[in-house]
Amino acid sequence: MLVISCIKQVPDTTQVKIDPVTNTLVREGIPFIVNPYDTHALEEGLALKDRYGLLAIAISMGPPNTEATLKKACALGVDQAILLSDRAFGGADTLATSQVLASAIDRLGKEEEVGIVFCGKQTIDGDTAQVGPGIATRLGFTQLTLVDRIEWLDVPNKRIRVRRKLEGRHEIVEAPLPVVITAVRELNRPRYPTVPMRLSAQETPVALWDNQVLQLDVETVGLKGSATWVSKIFSPERDQGEIIGDGVNDPEGTAHLLLDKMLAKDLLAL
Amino acid sequence: MKALLVCEQREGKILDTSYELVAFADRLGAEKVMVLVGKEAPKVDGKVYLADVDKFGEYNPDLHKQVVLEAIQKENPDYVVFVHSSYGWDLAPRVAAALKVGQVSEVVNIVDGKFELALCNAKLRRTVSPKGARAVLTVQAGAFNAVEASGSAQVEAIEVAGSSQLQFVGYEPAEKKDVDLGRAEIIVSAGRGVGKKENVAIIAELAKAFGGELGASRPVVDAGWVAHSHQVGTTGQTVSPKLYVACGISGAIQHLAGMKKSDFIVAINKDKDAPISEAADVMVVADVLQLAPVLMEKLRAA
Ligand SMILES: Cc1cc2nc3c(=O)[nH]c(=O)nc-3n(C[C@H](O)[C@H](O)[C@H](O)COP(=O)(O)OP(=O)(O)OC[C@H]3O[C@@H](n4cnc5c(N)ncnc54)[C@H](O)[C@@H]3O)c2cc1C
Ligand SMILES: Cc1cc2nc3c(=O)[nH]c(=O)nc-3n(C[C@H](O)[C@H](O)[C@H](O)COP(=O)(O)OP(=O)(O)OC[C@H]3O[C@@H](n4cnc5c(N)ncnc54)[C@H](O)[C@@H]3O)c2cc1C
Repeated sequence: MLVISCIKQVPDTTQVKIDPVTNTLVREGIPFIVNPYDTHALEEGLALKDRYGLLAIAISMGPPNTEATLKKACALGVDQAILLSDRAFGGADTLATSQVLASAIDRLGKEEEVGIVFCGKQTIDGDTAQVGPGIATRLGFTQLTLVDRIEWLDVPNKRIRVRRKLEGRHEIVEAPLPVVITAVRELNRPRYPTVPMRLSAQETPVALWDNQVLQLDVETVGLKGSATWVSKIFSPERDQGEIIGDGVNDPEGTAHLLLDKMLAKDLLAL
Repeated sequence: MKALLVCEQREGKILDTSYELVAFADRLGAEKVMVLVGKEAPKVDGKVYLADVDKFGEYNPDLHKQVVLEAIQKENPDYVVFVHSSYGWDLAPRVAAALKVGQVSEVVNIVDGKFELALCNAKLRRTVSPKGARAVLTVQAGAFNAVEASGSAQVEAIEVAGSSQLQFVGYEPAEKKDVDLGRAEIIVSAGRGVGKKENVAIIAELAKAFGGELGASRPVVDAGWVAHSHQVGTTGQTVSPKLYVACGISGAIQHLAGMKKSDFIVAINKDKDAPISEAADVMVVADVLQLAPVLMEKLRAA
């Protein structure tokens, strides 16, 4: 049985800047990292490999340099890493992205049964949280979002019980395999690759699947297959925080204002 | 233009965010229709499709999806709008996929009919418009001020047949957080501005009142006021809680590096120009020793 982790290479958003003149993202010199939530998706795949002997696979759609991200996954111990890359996939929105990922998973499933697909709960660059559910719907897999614990996995009977992290409480649900799970950071602590693992990973090949392999209708992938249109990217006006209250003379009123603000943002665990 | 607003309830109580959806639709200038799986309709003027929560469950994704699709079928809306809560998070993309339309997640503003969203951890914004005739939207909680809950809905019961593979087992209350700052959802940190060791206890108490953990800047740790495990920054821990409250912290780059990814940052500082104001969502100009007791009192009363 396969466990497939979808990982995305993203710019380190703490270092992203905007060009004030052209109003576009400055991409030069920004390091790429594995989307933080996806490190948990990857770790859980590896954990299930260790515990149940499942075959762990990592897939990523992106430009050719995404291979670096997949090499990291190899160093951590995945059995197979696949890069989904083609000019036709460029500019994809979430709909088009899930189309490509789903078709790769479907293809893998023809060789061996897919049990679980792990995704991160969202990315830190696109932030849409739609790709996991998109894959689930396309493949007809059961969708389990915001999972912070796998209670148990019953491989012979093909069932899983998970805990989902909701506002102020958790929900326990059970579902038949195959499932798509989106991971929150509480799910696990990602392992680090050792030096020997890193070295041996250099030899693990990353397979490249382009559209010659996937044979998708080019109208359904990339920019063409996208249902949304990003018209503008810009910095929010706020650089200085909103200043509230006159705390020195009116602590009462200031405290009140502050708490109201927090309540409105649903920040208080009351 | 018509918007179908997917309202939310918990244990019989309509969530306030449902009224934020109404505000959103008003801002959009859209005619509004509501749908809810619950016990009673929200207090709004307009049509509300109500599906019985006893039958469809507090949340069953398959059944709730059927309910929403049924309402869409009846109303043919241009927009189907959810709150970007765990509920909308899970359900909206299912509905979008079923309709084969695009989804725009976590809208924070509407400008010229286009949707503005945060990206890169809210460092940047982008405007997005859906290409097709219909779209699914989720709206950030708190981004639109809720309208008052008044009005009388015209309720229509909704019935759908449906089945689900998913088996609900139960709820668990959120557990008490451990001292691991990296996993804390709320962190309240003490800086040199608190003045002396004894005062750190006040901030620790404030952290507790918020239901969070105590963090600290380096000088506070170096002085031996708190253990190093509490230090936030380049030589401490990197944290990204939902809420970070910096008390008497100036906002040196080494400290910022450890906490600027937090979702929401509140700074309490005597100096309104302290560099922390650059990172803060809310800058409270106050003497933290004076403000903390008042805050605690109010938190406990709440
Ligand atoms: C600045 C910017 C703005 C964008 N705005 C929009 C927009 O408004 N609407 C829109 O539809 N698209 C938008 N996109 C495109 C979108 O980010 C990409 O389509 C992306 O591949 C998937 O969306 P996401 O990053 O939001 O992923 P999410 O849905 O947030 O990701 C969830 C999970 O899916 C998996 N995953 C996502 N992408 C990949 C991948 N390429 N390879 C492997 N696994 C993956 C990961 O496990 C990830 O944790 C934007 C992209 C950028 C860079
Ligand atoms: C290599 C290196 C690594 C470092 N690593 C870290 C690190 O990991 N973490 C870290 O935090 N620092 C680190 N530092 C130290 C950092 O440079 C700053 O010196 C430190 O963060 C300052 O701490 P502070 O904000 O608490 O104190 P200060 O800079 O002294 O600021 C105190 C603030 O409190 C305000 N204030 C005073 N009284 C009150 C009051 N009654 N009410 C409200 N506000 C009040 C003042 O206006 C001021 O803004 C590092 C430095 C170096 C060189």
